[in-house]
Amino acid sequence: MGKIKALTGNTAATVGAALSRPDLIAAYPITPQSSVAEGLSDLVHDGQLDSNLVQVESEHSAMSVVQGAAAVGGRVFTATSAQGLALMYEPYFRMSTLRFPMVMALATREMTSPETIWSGQQDAISVREAGWIQFFCDSNQEVLDMIIQGYMISEHPDVLIPVNVCYDGFYSSHLIEGVDVPSQEEVDAFLPAPTFNHAVLDPRTPMALDPMTPGNILMKYRKSHLDAMEKAIDVIDEIDKKFEKQFGRSYGGCISEYCCEDADVIIVTIAGMTGAGMDAVDLARKNGIRAGLLKVRAIRPFPAKKIAAALKGKKAFAVIDRSVSFGWSEGPVHMEIKAAIADTDEKYMHMSVIGGLGGADISVDDMYDCITYLDRCKNEPGEHETRWLMKD
Amino acid sequence: MSYIDVLRESKNVMTPGSSACQGCGGELVTRRVMQIAGPNSVYAVPPGCMAGAGTVGWNYKSGIHAPIHITLLDNTAAFLTGVSEMYQRKGRADVNMVAIAGDGASADCGFQSLSGAAERNSKMLYVCYDNEGYMNTGFQRSSTTSLGSRTSTTPIGSAINGKEQQQKYLPLIMAMHNLEYCATASISNMADLVKKIEKGLEASKKGFAYVHIFASCPTGWGYAPQESIDVARRAVKSNAFPLWEKTRDGFKINYDNKKPIPVSEFVKGITKYKTLTEENIASMQRNVDSVYATLKKLAAE
Repeated sequence: MGKIKALTGNTAATVGAALSRPDLIAAYPITPQSSVAEGLSDLVHDGQLDSNLVQVESEHSAMSVVQGAAAVGGRVFTATSAQGLALMYEPYFRMSTLRFPMVMALATREMTSPETIWSGQQDAISVREAGWIQFFCDSNQEVLDMIIQGYMISEHPDVLIPVNVCYDGFYSSHLIEGVDVPSQEEVDAFLPAPTFNHAVLDPRTPMALDPMTPGNILMKYRKSHLDAMEKAIDVIDEIDKKFEKQFGRSYGGCISEYCCEDADVIIVTIAGMTGAGMDAVDLARKNGIRAGLLKVRAIRPFPAKKIAAALKGKKAFAVIDRSVSFGWSEGPVHMEIKAAIADTDEKYMHMSVIGGLGGADISVDDMYDCITYLDRCKNEPGEHETRWLMKD
Repeated sequence: MSYIDVLRESKNVMTPGSSACQGCGGELVTRRVMQIAGPNSVYAVPPGCMAGAGTVGWNYKSGIHAPIHITLLDNTAAFLTGVSEMYQRKGRADVNMVAIAGDGASADCGFQSLSGAAERNSKMLYVCYDNEGYMNTGFQRSSTTSLGSRTSTTPIGSAINGKEQQQKYLPLIMAMHNLEYCATASISNMADLVKKIEKGLEASKKGFAYVHIFASCPTGWGYAPQESIDVARRAVKSNAFPLWEKTRDGFKINYDNKKPIPVSEFVKGITKYKTLTEENIASMQRNVDSVYATLKKLAAE
């Protein structure tokens, strides 16, 4: 058993990173992530954490410094948000395509413009094709736990893909919850030191890392990366079980379900909105609506088969996206779930719901309204108009 | 040991047959730096002439006999910081950390990460081979391209005659970073170059070392390949490229140019300068004199 502490999401990320014993940390402060960079600096400066801490002048350099350390087999950590993620996109994409494991916390934030610093998932969602595994957490406990699990998933020899642990900026990053903090001994017993060595810059075993590569070979790299993503779906489940055995907490792997078994209508949630969604489901159940909630925990790899199985036999669903897909007039996760069910025989009534952009709240009432709409229209299959949770 | 002995007795880490152009100044810089730093090094080479010429390759015939990575154009110093930190952490500080980057990757988009690493005093030797432009991709302008130069993005047109701006003088900007060692060198002054690479490597064990090397480019600049050394020598003799160093003891001018030749002598016969106006040359001369005067003051006892 660990110790229950009152922690913000950012502190939970800081503690999770520190417990994972990173060799090197490089992070550049940005709202709402800053207290992660500060917290890790405190630990190193106080001599409580034996990590090489590199103070960088940008997120681009943060990701580049950790990339260099990973090229010598180091376990590394960084964290960012929104504009910082956009700035680091170049080495970010390369981190995954070099197949270097690592964990990066992402306190998700809306992308400018209009100028904003508030919550949203447009940053993480926009880079979902950059080859990283992306988890979305809805509690501070989950943030801490997924950072520790993230290293194990990322360093798994069948995976070797870096991991993003995403949580809502401000709603999670700045709000305090009780978090069961495991001891260092418990984490050490769970998480072994890294051993990946597929690409190492060492004079003892000299290699050229990334010589110019022609298309026919490059395609083999991409295919193997995609295959590893596919394998990661099972590895995520396996490590979730292993984690439960050690710490007594399970998250269900790539997806988690709430009251889905006998449900007619389902709301699909991502990260912090899940709590409000569960309350709305409870309320709907009290009022006689057979509602359920499906939380998508991993956007990459996209657990298409698991989602299709969870939705099987349901009549209607709504996917609540905290980001948009330009050119599609709907939310990106809704689009992907449509693809996931495309080859099934099911005929659903479904709709995209967009809310919570730029820090706007997604309330229990909003969720409840979605559920009652789904329930009313559950026998009118097909895609219904995108619903915007907008208030004046 | 004299520089000739140093070079004679050191292993040629780079392949004997790279695909660099004949008379390439950058290739000579890379070969000599790698000879001096040796195989017990990690090399970081961003996209540019030297990565393009096949230094990053390992098929026993081309490439180099040491670990090497083609970094991003704009992250060489940051990437190598991570490598360096891990070697410190593992107690293997004997391994040299060497970046070999062009002027574009150093003065332009790579400048932020270069400046960041220098400010942190990260332990590495960063060598910039300055051929005044993006020569590997077809001679486009960089911020170190000199005034009036014809490049493919500053062509000689009827409205605008080559590059309109003076070059950015990167070495002095780097010297202001409180780094461990900073120097300029030229392929025409090999004894001085070898000594500075040796000093830079030594300094890299304590912090950040930067050596900015004049690397003339026959293909991009337009002169015969055998003239590269002569062009570089004229750059030094005209003070267009003065040789100096800054250690923890201060600035020192290493080539005391008692009777500098005029800039007009330096630019003679080089195609990229062929439409320089008298006004251009006068402006270049004023710039050269001004930088040199500044260096003289910095180096004054």
